Amino acid sequence: TAVISPQDPTLLIGSSLLATCSVHGDPPGATAEGLYWTLNGRRLPPELSRVLNASTLALALANLNGSRQQSGDNLVCHARDGSILAGSCLYVGLPPEKPVNISCWSKNMKDLTCRWTPGAHGETFLHTNYSLKYKLRWYGQDNTCEEYHTVGPYSCHIPKDLALFTPYEIWVEATNRLGSARSDVLTLDILDVVTTDPPPDVHVSRVGGLEDQLSVRWVSPPALKDFLFQAKYQIRYRVEDSVDWKVVDDVSNQTSCRLAGLKPGTVYFVQVRCNPFGIYGSKKAGIWSEWSHPTAASTPRSGGACEPRGGEPSSGPVRRELKQFLGWLKKHAYCSNLSFRLYDQWRAWMQKSHKTRNQDEGILPSGRRGTTRGPAR
Amino acid sequence: MDDWDSWGMLACLCTVLWHLPAVPALNRTGDPGPGPSIQKTYDLTRYLEHQLRSLAGTYLNYLGPPFNEPDFNPPRLGAETLPRATVDLEVWRSLNDRLRLTQNYEAYSHLLCYLRGLNRQAATAELRRSLAHFCTSLQGLLGSIAGVMAALGYPLPQPLPGTEPTWTPGPAHSDFLQKMDDFWLLKELQTWLWRSAKDFNRLKKKMQPPAAAVTLHLGAHGF
Repeated sequence: TAVISPQDPTLLIGSSLLATCSVHGDPPGATAEGLYWTLNGRRLPPELSRVLNASTLALALANLNGSRQQSGDNLVCHARDGSILAGSCLYVGLPPEKPVNISCWSKNMKDLTCRWTPGAHGETFLHTNYSLKYKLRWYGQDNTCEEYHTVGPYSCHIPKDLALFTPYEIWVEATNRLGSARSDVLTLDILDVVTTDPPPDVHVSRVGGLEDQLSVRWVSPPALKDFLFQAKYQIRYRVEDSVDWKVVDDVSNQTSCRLAGLKPGTVYFVQVRCNPFGIYGSKKAGIWSEWSHPTAASTPRSGGACEPRGGEPSSGPVRRELKQFLGWLKKHAYCSNLSFRLYDQWRAWMQKSHKTRNQDEGILPSGRRGTTRGPAR
Repeated sequence: MDDWDSWGMLACLCTVLWHLPAVPALNRTGDPGPGPSIQKTYDLTRYLEHQLRSLAGTYLNYLGPPFNEPDFNPPRLGAETLPRATVDLEVWRSLNDRLRLTQNYEAYSHLLCYLRGLNRQAATAELRRSLAHFCTSLQGLLGSIAGVMAALGYPLPQPLPGTEPTWTPGPAHSDFLQKMDDFWLLKELQTWLWRSAKDFNRLKKKMQPPAAAVTLHLGAHGF
């Protein structure tokens, strides 16, 4: 057997190392002759080694690179036949940098989750331990967060015992074998970083036969229902095959909204999210919730929802038929100022009366054609 | 280089494992016998073998070369207390059922104990999760073996006399030596799973009656 010295040293990148492998014990008479070094499985050039005395082989490494793996570089002393006599793990790296960009949010004022970024200049090559600390501003005692990696590698979750109305001081300490660093302190009030669940029960429905509108309804998130005096909502929607969302902002404190200017006969996906603005008198906006699950609905096809034939771009056959009818009427009737304009005006009137009669009812009863509904004359 | 005490310390920890919850006796009325349990145990060893392959690959990459090289064969120094799967063929063949099962049970109890002690501070959170998941599966295997033993009427092996589950950390074990211990733990675990598949296959065949008068339902149990 043999012994390598130093055992498991920690070194700064770029530093040098002088190591020795000393054989002893059995087999008796074992010498340093024929011994060689490998680093991470690769044999080191003989010019780096030197026989110090009968039983010791030395190694000189200069300008070390960062460790290949966080468990340490494997420096091994081999006997002539290749067998392993001894090993030592080299930890070569950099001390940690100050963690930055701490951001936190509280779900329904019940917990606090924080995220941060490690210091900017990349790898330390050593395992770095992060510890999120927090304390109430005027009450002295430091606490350490215990649930890590909840939303990514640099995050921590504080599940309970959070106080309201007094600010917290929060910071992150990074430690590794070469040193430690501490982030700047973030001071925050739980009430200023509240987020909540997305609004449940989002329903999207047609507005009568109106082909360019959809009505969106939702429920205020139940966890904060007693506190949401000034909730804000945002709606976003897109056409089925598109990736571009349109956003409706500033939907304040209501639980329904009408989307207009939509394309007829098109499937739309709609989502809603909530911001618990001004909770408990906080002057700040809270944090937007996640978007609700997408809800889909389609606008009616133009020409009325009960167009019996599918696939036609507009009211083709109806219009053609009417054209013929009007043509005949002009020839044989007395209403000489009958025209398509009159027909369009009549159609617009029809849509308006559907709205007042069939609020939120959606599709007209099937089997009845729009053109036969009309004011009794 | 002679402080292999950490293995000894961990062996004390193993006594904790002996206090497994009592396995309820199988309902014997009209039951299909131990056949299904044996099949299930066999299936579990195959599943664990598969799980271990991926876990070991990741772990050995974490240890770094030469540990993850295919023919790596370091001295087996501290790992003397690891239960050895390798055994003479004739000895293995001639094991009676009770001994065969007992050896499996004791081996996995020890291995589980050591695996739990694989406290690599520096390992990534993902690696720690994979290890924890594997330990849970291994615990399942132990339970399954215990079930087979109970079904066949064999008592579970008793804990080592006079050993209380207290574990005090021993003198510092060098990091490189620890890596070698980790390597051999994974190797031995792998060998045991290979062997157990054969053990349970053998038991399965023995339990099948020679005549076709009774048909055992050996369904494949998924997990």
